[in-house]
Amino acid sequence: MTATLTDRLLGRPLDRVDARRKVAGAAPYPSDFDLPGQVHAALVSSTVAAGRITRIDRSAAEGAPGVLAVLTHENAPPLAPPPPNDLGSTTRWTLQDDRIFHYGQHIGIVVAGTRAQAQEAARLVEVEYAAEDPVLDIGDPRAVVEANPYGLETGRGDVEIGLAAADATLDATYSIAAETNSPMGLFTTVADWQGGRLVVHDTTQYPTMVRASLAAMFEVPERDVRVLIPFLGGGFGAGLRLWSHTVLTTLAARVLDRPVKLVLTRPQMFSSTGHRATNRQRIRLGATGDGRLLAIDHDCLAANGVEDRLSSYIVASTPVQYACDNVATHDRIAHLNIPYTGFMRAPGGAELNFALESALDELADQIGVDPVELRLRNYAEVNPASGKPWSSKALRECLMVGADRFGWAGRDPAPGSMRDGDWLVGYGMAGVTFDFYADPCEVRLTVDRGGNATLRAAATDIGTGTYTIAAQLTAELLGLELDQVRVEIGDTDLPPAPQSGGSGLAGALGAAVKDAAGQLTERLARLDGGPGETFGAMLDRLGLDELSATGHSDLAGAAGSSELAVAGPFAARFAEVGVDEELGLVRLRRLVSVIDGGRLYNEKLARSQVIGGTVMGLGMALLEETVVDPNTGRVANGTFGDYLVPVNADVPDLDVVFVGGPDAFTPTGTKGLGEVGIVGVAAAIANAVHHATGRRIRDLPITLDTML
Amino acid sequence: MSSATTARSTEVTVQLRVNERTYPVRLDSTTTLLDALRDQLHLAGTKKGCDQGACGACTVLRDGKRIVSCLTLAAQCDGSEITTIEGLADDPVQEAFVRHDALQCGYCTAGQVMSAVALLREGRAGSDDEIREFMSGNLCRCAAYPNIVAAIREVAGGS
Repeated sequence: MTATLTDRLLGRPLDRVDARRKVAGAAPYPSDFDLPGQVHAALVSSTVAAGRITRIDRSAAEGAPGVLAVLTHENAPPLAPPPPNDLGSTTRWTLQDDRIFHYGQHIGIVVAGTRAQAQEAARLVEVEYAAEDPVLDIGDPRAVVEANPYGLETGRGDVEIGLAAADATLDATYSIAAETNSPMGLFTTVADWQGGRLVVHDTTQYPTMVRASLAAMFEVPERDVRVLIPFLGGGFGAGLRLWSHTVLTTLAARVLDRPVKLVLTRPQMFSSTGHRATNRQRIRLGATGDGRLLAIDHDCLAANGVEDRLSSYIVASTPVQYACDNVATHDRIAHLNIPYTGFMRAPGGAELNFALESALDELADQIGVDPVELRLRNYAEVNPASGKPWSSKALRECLMVGADRFGWAGRDPAPGSMRDGDWLVGYGMAGVTFDFYADPCEVRLTVDRGGNATLRAAATDIGTGTYTIAAQLTAELLGLELDQVRVEIGDTDLPPAPQSGGSGLAGALGAAVKDAAGQLTERLARLDGGPGETFGAMLDRLGLDELSATGHSDLAGAAGSSELAVAGPFAARFAEVGVDEELGLVRLRRLVSVIDGGRLYNEKLARSQVIGGTVMGLGMALLEETVVDPNTGRVANGTFGDYLVPVNADVPDLDVVFVGGPDAFTPTGTKGLGEVGIVGVAAAIANAVHHATGRRIRDLPITLDTML
Repeated sequence: MSSATTARSTEVTVQLRVNERTYPVRLDSTTTLLDALRDQLHLAGTKKGCDQGACGACTVLRDGKRIVSCLTLAAQCDGSEITTIEGLADDPVQEAFVRHDALQCGYCTAGQVMSAVALLREGRAGSDDEIREFMSGNLCRCAAYPNIVAAIREVAGGS
């Protein structure tokens, strides 16, 4: 028996292992946990966007029925600062002073016997402010603007020389509205100090980060903090930071020494759990007459909260998109009195792709080269930044297969030339070069005398399918059936795993599982069970109850020393839109996605990821915009009635095809698929709108009023 | 000061009939059916996504018709027959959802399934477009929509 990857189970479109619990309503989400002796919390939020609290009166709230505690900056115990963190650290610790940075900032927490009592009492906290005029627009000259802290001022060659030598140039500025992740599950914290040990049910994609942060802030050892998150209710990046409500609920539980539960309201989700920052991107291109790129200059300005240390990184992968000798990037951050930004599916990559792939479409139109052909003429055969060969790249196949399946050859290149009744019809496409990021991962894999295996890691399944693909891979490697593998995740008492984010968990976890399974099968071989002996039979023969191995991976570390340029997924997206000229309606009619995702863990779940991302991309293109009131700084549309996300009737036939083979860098040959589905959709749709109407829309979302 | 008016509450006793069981519950008259199901009956399968009737996550059946339980007062359900996800037993819709991967995170799934069960009874599954239209009150941010349509189509075709 050897730990090898075959297609016995791996890649097969098996049913999601937790689906049965989910369709029965039996999967427990954080808001479903109720602990003995539990009381309920509600938040007090700022009603100004900038300034200071001059008076905050707790007395009416404290006297309200059922109220147990009212904490504000005046009476909250001090907290230690949270530790620095590469992506997840808290914005600033909360209730520690009187300063107001944004509308909706948490300025108090009220705890009472019931949720209704807490919510009622929260309204009775009286607050007076010395309000200041908030800075809310990235173009506001009062905004504090700084260079992106990630160091994204980069260059190769000389862009100005490239532009000067070009037969054709383009200089265009694109903008994307702020968007809010809006997972269906309301973020929840249930905190319980069991004596000295803190147990927290918390909606997070990164439980080990929450553990480390709470341990530091409450000054207890990490081993005395346990974060539990078996099922998430979606995140799309919103669960990658430690948010204020988690800290406040934990604080209230400590003050009262009893379990406290807080469930955010939907409007609070819009101001408390991050969002995709609004941004402006100026793209300058220079090209030869036949479309070979001579220069790409990408300049970005993105919003961020006041004093927030975390920033977007939109231009980070611009240098690797196409073969071009002269590429420069610039990235600045404008600090505004807006709710804290965060990560939203394919942060950076989705925004970059919209601007660059729109610009290429404009260039193609200008010089009369087919948009697909333009991508092929600038195809990066090797990584254009490092010069190293890609660990895998089937982008050419994505483009060719996509064009064929879509019927791109039937496109009349002249804008406004295609019709279907009252509808103008347009075809648009975009290429996608994406990446992934995988932090170190540890897993514990155990086989028992019953012949079953258990995999344990503090990873999460946010709906992407971690439970399923981990079971599938483990069963594949150990020669077991799927139902012989148990996967335990969502608990920080288990070995440390990275976040469900950056499209990295599947690769990191898979590599660690492969390591552990390799150790087990090697030990089995050494124990000389003879051919065909199962783990169960061997343990029986040796009189052992179980055999365990700890597996590790560090893909980000290994990438640095690799001879290969580590590739993420690639894709091509082809969209057909209909535009009703008189009504301004824009409808996506169909979309073909061809994805190079490396080896797939599970074709069915992979397809679901791509569909889900595609629909979120449809929202980005045509619907989604978090509106901040220009006077008060309040999120003006923070409900599902006002913030429009795609519904079932918005979604047409979506064709998803996978191409390419196993990646040469990741031990499993897989590439992350959680985010790539959104990338390229907005550009393909915007390019199709241009083809349909001749109108180039450079600002997302493309709404009805834009088209009229 | 508004505390005098807002602190007022009226307790009522209601016979809630849920999944063919009768629960006598004492609750504030302003309690929604959703909160009563989750907090008092401990039937947590029904989910709260917006509390404003805009997302469909809390969909249950009242006398066979789908309603959003967050906009329904529990006190108004005295005498009604409520069916929640816990009241379904291996419904073909649930099986089809599993097979077609008509869910990802699963948070909206109870509402989707209840809505789909009612939609089939309503005879609104005649075409994919009809299914899409009549399932559009149930948001799925993971966007399993095409798979939800496929699952419902399959059940509709087989019945």
